[in-house]
Amino acid sequence: MSADLLEHTGRFCRRLRAEGLRLGPGDTLDAARALDAVDVLDREELRLSLRSTLVKRAEDLPVFDALFDSFWGGSVAAGRNPPVIPPGEEEEKESRAAASTRHRRERSMEGLEELRVPGPSSHEALGRQDFATFGEEELRAVTALARRIARRLSARPGRRWKQARRGEQVSLRRTLRDAMKTGGELATLSYRERKLRRTRLVILADVSGSMDLYARLLLQFLYALQNAFARVETFVFATRLSRVTDELRVPEYRTALAELSARVQDWSGGTRIGESLATFLADWPRLLDRRTVTVVLSDGWETGDPEVLGEALATIHRRSGRLVWLNPLLGSAGYEPLTRGMQAALPHLDVFAPANDLASLEQLARHLML
Amino acid sequence: MERQGYVTDRAVATAVFLATSLGKPLLVEGHPGVGKTEIAKVLATVQEGDLIRLQCYEGLDATTALYEWNYPKQLLHIRMEEQGSVAAREAAIFSEPFLLKRPLLQAITHRGRPPVLLIDEVDRADEEFEAFLLEVLSDFQVTIPEIGTVRAAARPAVVLTSNRARDLSDALRRRCLYLWIDYPSLEKELRIVRMRVPGIEERLARELTAFMHSLRRMKLVKVPGVAESLDWAQALVTLHATHLDESLVRETLGCFLKDEADLRTVTARLEAGELPALSAPLG
Repeated sequence: MSADLLEHTGRFCRRLRAEGLRLGPGDTLDAARALDAVDVLDREELRLSLRSTLVKRAEDLPVFDALFDSFWGGSVAAGRNPPVIPPGEEEEKESRAAASTRHRRERSMEGLEELRVPGPSSHEALGRQDFATFGEEELRAVTALARRIARRLSARPGRRWKQARRGEQVSLRRTLRDAMKTGGELATLSYRERKLRRTRLVILADVSGSMDLYARLLLQFLYALQNAFARVETFVFATRLSRVTDELRVPEYRTALAELSARVQDWSGGTRIGESLATFLADWPRLLDRRTVTVVLSDGWETGDPEVLGEALATIHRRSGRLVWLNPLLGSAGYEPLTRGMQAALPHLDVFAPANDLASLEQLARHLML
Repeated sequence: MERQGYVTDRAVATAVFLATSLGKPLLVEGHPGVGKTEIAKVLATVQEGDLIRLQCYEGLDATTALYEWNYPKQLLHIRMEEQGSVAAREAAIFSEPFLLKRPLLQAITHRGRPPVLLIDEVDRADEEFEAFLLEVLSDFQVTIPEIGTVRAAARPAVVLTSNRARDLSDALRRRCLYLWIDYPSLEKELRIVRMRVPGIEERLARELTAFMHSLRRMKLVKVPGVAESLDWAQALVTLHATHLDESLVRETLGCFLKDEADLRTVTARLEAGELPALSAPLG
């Protein structure tokens, strides 16, 4: 394979990634291997080979087809199939929208979030926020979402079995082994049951000034999650870290907000992410283990030392089962995680995902499953 | 592939070719009845290998997918072999002759030409199983505590199909090559019908495919796929039909409509004379 073609393939993969296709280095490699195996002078064969290796879901096919035409130049040879757009896709959406109003709610919230993206505020404390501005309907939507996520996270029977005093099933394997001692006589029955998989969640949420717009939505989400799912610990930070698990665990959302505002002093101040995370590690050293998913909710505007942030995240990453960073800005077009804080954080993250609207929170469930 | 009675196009052929030459599993998605499963069957015939099929369903677990000990046989063996130490007898009954090989283990221990492993409707298995499947697919080896690690002599070709009942994990998608199969074009479906239902009259084949295409444009609960076209064509040939007319369509609706609401919708459209490609009923 010529170096030119290889390089061009690499660039094509980067463009696809920029368009939102999830491609890893392995996929680029596969594409290159595929082009080695086929006749690349045949445009159609080139197109189909790249498509088989680089497109992983039907939704991405139109994106690929559009980009292929513009990227690999010239018109496509005659006889090319029209871009495959799965039929039924549209109907599905329509019926879904008709079936519930959830869809519309999500849209309206997206609009809300697009209003403005505030920059970092170093130390201008904006005082306590009025969280009550969110409509009842949005609140319900967020709550429903949190419940759905909690249901998926709650103790699920795993794939593996363990011995049990009185299990759901007779363990034939164990029973037979025991029978050997009695010369093949089945004297005792052994039972087995599924091992439970328990995931724990630790949430570290940034409530500094630059996060203002999102804080309301996210707090509602955190509140709902805290109440639907028992094994979650929530912390908030701006310049200092506070544990708010107990404040959030009250039956009334508005009460929770009042307690929260009283407890947390530096709402909407500047951000010291690194120091806050270091405090978390120092004060709560036993909270993290392999079954814990740690979620950091922040835009990455660090006013402290990025090196401290990098070190703290490296430790968190090492200790927990998974480290997820949710960045509200990631959802806005054209955002690149270039801030010093974000740059220091990126190498230590397992998942870096947007969290600017309900749709992106919906995606969260998948990242939280260990 | 065409020789095996599978009418294909370049997209399918390229994907299958790449999957076999890169040695990666092929994930096939598409609507029900477009011939996803057929790909694996035809591939097995072309490669002259065996087809090993694992049908997925909710709650599928390792004992049905991978292996299980043959407990009754073990029990009988213990009864018959009364002498020997416990350890010796234990080693005897936990050995290969007492192992019930389920599809995944069958594919791994297969001797001779590499088989084709079809993992059908993987979207119906739960996520737990998907993770387990990833383990097996990544290196084609399995560890059975009593026996040891079993490695595949020759990597089987793997085809996974999904009806998109749920979204598959990115990890699984990443491991596979991807192929989306759409409903066929009118010409392609006509060729499929001609090839798979040899006795069919040309006029009937044309009318039938045109009718199916207009059906797929309607909003139906269960859109009929190619499989339904073939069933219907076969039924019509059995009835010695040479062309379609309204009463014939009405009598045989059940061949391609599998939902009561759809039956009503289509009957109403038939009565209104809104469905094309029907000849006037013969006197």
